[in-house]
Amino acid sequence: MRGLRAGYGIVEVLFGLDLDVDAGELVVVLGANGSGKTTTLRAVSGMLESRGEIVFDGRSLRGLRPDQVVQAGIAHVPQGRGTINDLTVVENLRIGAWTRRDSEVAADIDLWCDAFPRLGERRDQLAGSMSGGEQQMLAIARAFMSRPRLLLLDEPSLGLAPLVTAEVFDRLRDITDRTGTAVLLVEQNANLALDFAGRAYVLEAGEIVASGPAAQLQHDETVQKAYLGI
Amino acid sequence: MSDATALGDGPTAKVAPSPARRVPVGRVVVSVVVAAVLVALPFMFPAFRVEQFVGWMALAIAACGLNLLTGYNGQISVGHGALYGTGAYATALLITDLGWPVWPSVAAAGVICFVVGVAIGLPALRIKGLYLALVTLAVATLFPLIIEQFSSITGGGSGLSITTPQETPRGVIERPIRLESPGGSLAPDQWKYFVFLVLTVVVFVVMRNIVRSRTGRSLVAVRDNETAAEVSGVHVARVKILTFGVSSAMAGIGGAVFALNNGRINPSSFTIVVSIYFLIAVVVGGAASVIGPAIGAVAYGLFIDVLSPELPERFKPATPVILGVLLILLMLFAPGGIVGMWRTSAAKRAAKRARAATAAAASGDTV
Amino acid sequence: MTDFLQVLFVGIGDGAIYAMLGLGLVVIYRSTGLLNFAQGEMAMFSTFIVWTVWDLGVPLPLAVIAGMVGGFGVGALAHQIAVRPVGDPHEKPLAVVMVTIGLFVGLNSAAQLVWGTLDRDLPPLFGSGGIEVAGVAIAWQKIGAVIVLAVLALGFYLLFQRTGLGLAMRAVASNSESASLVGVPVPKLLMLGWGLAAAVGTVAGVFTAPGRGLGSNMMQLTLIFGFAAITLGGFDSLLGAVVGGFVVGIASSVVPQYVPGFEKMPLAPAFILILAVLLFRPEGLFGRKQVQRV
Repeated sequence: MRGLRAGYGIVEVLFGLDLDVDAGELVVVLGANGSGKTTTLRAVSGMLESRGEIVFDGRSLRGLRPDQVVQAGIAHVPQGRGTINDLTVVENLRIGAWTRRDSEVAADIDLWCDAFPRLGERRDQLAGSMSGGEQQMLAIARAFMSRPRLLLLDEPSLGLAPLVTAEVFDRLRDITDRTGTAVLLVEQNANLALDFAGRAYVLEAGEIVASGPAAQLQHDETVQKAYLGI
Repeated sequence: MSDATALGDGPTAKVAPSPARRVPVGRVVVSVVVAAVLVALPFMFPAFRVEQFVGWMALAIAACGLNLLTGYNGQISVGHGALYGTGAYATALLITDLGWPVWPSVAAAGVICFVVGVAIGLPALRIKGLYLALVTLAVATLFPLIIEQFSSITGGGSGLSITTPQETPRGVIERPIRLESPGGSLAPDQWKYFVFLVLTVVVFVVMRNIVRSRTGRSLVAVRDNETAAEVSGVHVARVKILTFGVSSAMAGIGGAVFALNNGRINPSSFTIVVSIYFLIAVVVGGAASVIGPAIGAVAYGLFIDVLSPELPERFKPATPVILGVLLILLMLFAPGGIVGMWRTSAAKRAAKRARAATAAAASGDTV
Repeated sequence: MTDFLQVLFVGIGDGAIYAMLGLGLVVIYRSTGLLNFAQGEMAMFSTFIVWTVWDLGVPLPLAVIAGMVGGFGVGALAHQIAVRPVGDPHEKPLAVVMVTIGLFVGLNSAAQLVWGTLDRDLPPLFGSGGIEVAGVAIAWQKIGAVIVLAVLALGFYLLFQRTGLGLAMRAVASNSESASLVGVPVPKLLMLGWGLAAAVGTVAGVFTAPGRGLGSNMMQLTLIFGFAAITLGGFDSLLGAVVGGFVVGIASSVVPQYVPGFEKMPLAPAFILILAVLLFRPEGLFGRKQVQRV
């Protein structure tokens, strides 16, 4: 994206972001609450109106509705998981494949249930009755059901115990290694995210204040000052 | 109709103060003109038309009541027709069966409807928004059936005439009520017009005073955020119940005017459609403004009584279609009704003036 | 005793009609979150379409199908132009009420405009005959209503539980944001929901018309009964609509007959039910979502 500006109604939140994600890359956007991280993802997936350029695979995403963005090959796991709570695990996965017309959907459902054993154990359980960590895994699995090339992931650690979050990130790592999906991750938990990602941006009050390889930023003083209050 | 424009309407967007002037000359002129027109009207039109005007007044009073409840207090009622009807039947029965004089009957109708309103207001504390609309819709649909159920008292489907005993050479007989002006200087329709015009103005003045008072503000506070209001010391339950009561009383008084104007009432005058038309008058005129319901009532009256009969017979039923379409368009584009549109344009003009003034000042500085 | 059974069966037959209207109301409530006060008028309008087609000589069952298609169109159109632009019912309940009222008024008078103000006659779908069981006369029409209701309810069940489209509709009803994030075209499905609801309403209208006469005010009472059915059953429960419909139907048939003071007010038990449920158990018998959010 280039020069992304977006906001809610008359309140502008993002003031000209430039951001890149290459194929198969794992990129994280760090930032404190209110810095505009979620807004960024929402702008990409079409949930918000935005100004500026967003180009995916050579195609502009301007003005597309969320359901059209999915068809372009992007899947968005929103903040708070966004599981469809009145549907079962299997139904959630099935609806995740809504944009697909091939016959491998059932096979994929099995695949994901194997990849996340906890989901496999609860195939017919209502999503609303599962724990936060399970819901997060379900949300990720559902997103992958559409076989996206880019996954947008919004604060997966929110509301989850550290152990659970670590497990989620591990699984995600495995999956992306296997499928080659690019990930644009948005996170508050800097340490975990920087371990996971290859490259990182730091967002503050709607603007990018730092960027670079994740390992580098982990030891960067600016980042540490901004987040860890050092 | 009420000339409440002179008296001001609810919370207005203040026009950018022009230097030194405090008297809104424009408003005074408009009010004088409106008042003059109102006084002249009954002499310019035939009796049946004047009686239609009185009908509009009844509608305005009831719509004013509904506006208090729905516009200012946020409780949606699609059932005010039932209260209108209650007021009408109460008045009719008091005068005809119990021999009460006119004005006490009207007042009593108001009181009765107040009580009924409070009775509805109690369960309404726990039922809100769309669900309250549903309950009131059911009440309004039920009302004509209740009238027919108790037909021994109400005359059922064949209706009820308001009659008073009169001395004639043949002894005392019941005659349909006629409101005669003292000295007979005015025709009955004109006398009715002025009498009820005064009543309407009184109702709207009372409304304006309520709205501007602290009670009025607490009404609005409850509408906008009940929890916040409660926390700021507003007794939410009491406010809501009283508002229902007063609103219903107004609707009942409107019904009384309706009954006295027509001399004869029957349940088909009080179907769900009446409730809907009150709501339309409020919304079209502008909810949450004092004068809005009056404007809405006049607009509706013009539409139904003046415009529609002029259409060829084939298209007569089209008028409510247009009404329905208008309503939808209004909700989408101008939810503030006529008054709302007026205020927005006034605010825009004021903003333009302010911008021009700042620009002038700025360019003055740089010179 | 036979009298009572007689009254009971009439109530069951009526209840089936209320349940039909209720099914449509539930679909709309689940998908768009609002109470459609214009449901009865949509049903009335499409019943007029049925009449028009039938009057041209088409056999009644086919005319009903045609009317359902027409009704579908009316419902979808109503959603597109009136309901969608207004926004979230929880934030702006007055606007939503006014829009559905606007539809009510508009459809009511559009019907008068097109078909005039005189009542038409629509013959009963199942004929005027009946059977007698243990001294109780039961009209075929009433039995037919129950059968048709069962078919419709079953149809909805299969649609929602067994098809991909139904799954998508349920997803939209539960979490429309997430549904659009997996690629479901939410506005189209909402429109579909309204269309289905209107189509089902058509059937309710077709069963109401023979008894009451096909006129523009035909469905106004039935609407309240339908709402009573879903209030009792739970606003978001299809099963509740069916159960609630029968309870309301029976109550409205039995009470006026046997309780003094209620002879002319079949609506009264329904009204009392609505009030009682909303006050004491807003989620009804089978409802799930929080009803008091507004």
